[in-house]
Amino acid sequence: MNGIMLVDAYYVYWREMKRLSRQKTRIVMSVIQPVVWLVLMGNMMTGLTNNPFAARMIGADSYLDFMTPGIMIMSALFGSVFGGVSIIWDRQTGFLNKMLAAPISRTAIPLGKMAGIASQAALQVIVIGIIALLLGVEFATGPAGFLLALVIIILFSFGVSGISLSLATILKTHESLFAVMNFVTLPMMFASNAIFPKAAMPSWLELIATYNPLSHAVTPIRTLIVQGWVWDRIINGLVVMALFALVMIIVSSRQFKRSVG
Amino acid sequence: MPPIVEVNGLTKRFPGGITAVNNITFQVHEGEIFGFLGPNGAGKSTTIMMLTTLLRPTSGRAHIAGFDIIKQPNQVRSVIGYVSQDLAVDDNLTGRENLRLQAGFYHLPAREARARIAELLDLVGLNERADFRVETYSGGMRKRLDIAAGLLHRPRLLFLDEPTLGLDIQTRREIWRYVTGLQQSFGMTIFLTTHYLEEADVLCDHIAIIDQGVIKTIDTPGHLKAQFGGDIVTLRFAPGTSQEQEALALESIARLDVVSNIQKTGDEVMIITPDGDRTVPVVFETIQPLDVSVQSVTVKRPSLDDVYVAVTGRHLRDEVIDAEASRRARIRMRRVKS
Repeated sequence: MNGIMLVDAYYVYWREMKRLSRQKTRIVMSVIQPVVWLVLMGNMMTGLTNNPFAARMIGADSYLDFMTPGIMIMSALFGSVFGGVSIIWDRQTGFLNKMLAAPISRTAIPLGKMAGIASQAALQVIVIGIIALLLGVEFATGPAGFLLALVIIILFSFGVSGISLSLATILKTHESLFAVMNFVTLPMMFASNAIFPKAAMPSWLELIATYNPLSHAVTPIRTLIVQGWVWDRIINGLVVMALFALVMIIVSSRQFKRSVG
Repeated sequence: MPPIVEVNGLTKRFPGGITAVNNITFQVHEGEIFGFLGPNGAGKSTTIMMLTTLLRPTSGRAHIAGFDIIKQPNQVRSVIGYVSQDLAVDDNLTGRENLRLQAGFYHLPAREARARIAELLDLVGLNERADFRVETYSGGMRKRLDIAAGLLHRPRLLFLDEPTLGLDIQTRREIWRYVTGLQQSFGMTIFLTTHYLEEADVLCDHIAIIDQGVIKTIDTPGHLKAQFGGDIVTLRFAPGTSQEQEALALESIARLDVVSNIQKTGDEVMIITPDGDRTVPVVFETIQPLDVSVQSVTVKRPSLDDVYVAVTGRHLRDEVIDAEASRRARIRMRRVKS
């Protein structure tokens, strides 16, 4: 990693952010979607916490507290999972070749794109945080806890978009990338502790949920909201997410370099 | 002065066994416009992709401004500009933003970049639309923006891959006016591929004709045309003429003193002669006793198109291209037309 590479990555990132800022529908939808989830799902499920047995499994006073980190991660997941599309699109419009014909670091291209996707996820989570606050969800750890949650989300987004970008170097059309990523997204979502507590799962699903990287992102954020600074639960998730992000940055930039010769 | 492009035995074989470029060797001199002609699939784009470091050659060597394309790709990238066929500008950004991005990729200092962007927008006539999104541009405007982006870092060598593909005649002329103007003011070398032979004829100092991955000939347009020694008489025999009759007729025409060359392409016979107008009656006299009738005959001055047909044995035509290339072509056409 060197200075020039970061400068190059900055310009790739700058382009991604400019593009994002022009896509009004995408911005509006990325706000509406989590609101709908929070308000609908949150209210539908409040009955759960009235049941003392279910409340114990959820481990929070309100289902909304339990659900908010799940919605945050879900938004980051949905936003990042199609990150590879932009590489496919650039390849098809010839923009990728234009970048590659310039003396820029090859690593800068996936890195800048990942940073763009992660920023988008972070912005979305800030919006969700505000809406959740209006609905009465407060971080037990206060603003510092929220910032730490943002860091976790960003790392998670780097990891997921890294998977998507790596696949995009192999799958050359949007359609095939959509098909594969759609196949991955929902199972990843439901086989985690994002929406349902692990305690309510059959043991085989619980096993999957335990190793699902999504759960490792949800647990520390949920801890920050519901319990407070319980460091051993927070550190565990933070380390797993940092490793996830790092590994996927390395894998995707290697894949990318290989795919462009 | 050493040549700016020096290619030695460059070869590209794709997995699956297709040899797109087969052992080509040529040079391009500093300051000239060098034209690369050939049908789709002849190896033009593959050659450009290798020279612009986008594709690794299977074997052979190439140097650009003295830099090895394999060992010193980044040095090569900083001295070349690349304008692909794809109209590779970002529709979501404004014209100015596209150029700013390009300036960033080439590590131009901010102040310098601003000045050059303003200057180039002026040169390509996009000043008024500079802060509109590229989405709203016409095909010709996009192309001009794309070319401006290729010029931003003042490359010594500019690759223009089919710069006028799909544009209407007026826009094509306009693009060429800009390009030759820019070439004169910056003194750079241009490496050009095109389908339009008349363009190559007027613009290029040297022309290479490439077919099936092999360079068939390299020369100035004047020399290429002069190789024909004058005019071209094209004959078409009447339907129903038998193979033997035809062969006999061709043989006796070839024996004539006024005929310097004869070639058969499909059902057309091309006769190269110093004086076409006088040759026609002589040819008719010769073949009359053979009892073959002629359906049509034309006489014309040679064009580069004729050179092309003579060298490759066919007209510039579209060939089957792979799925990826055709997808890109469709996207490109959509954007050119909008």
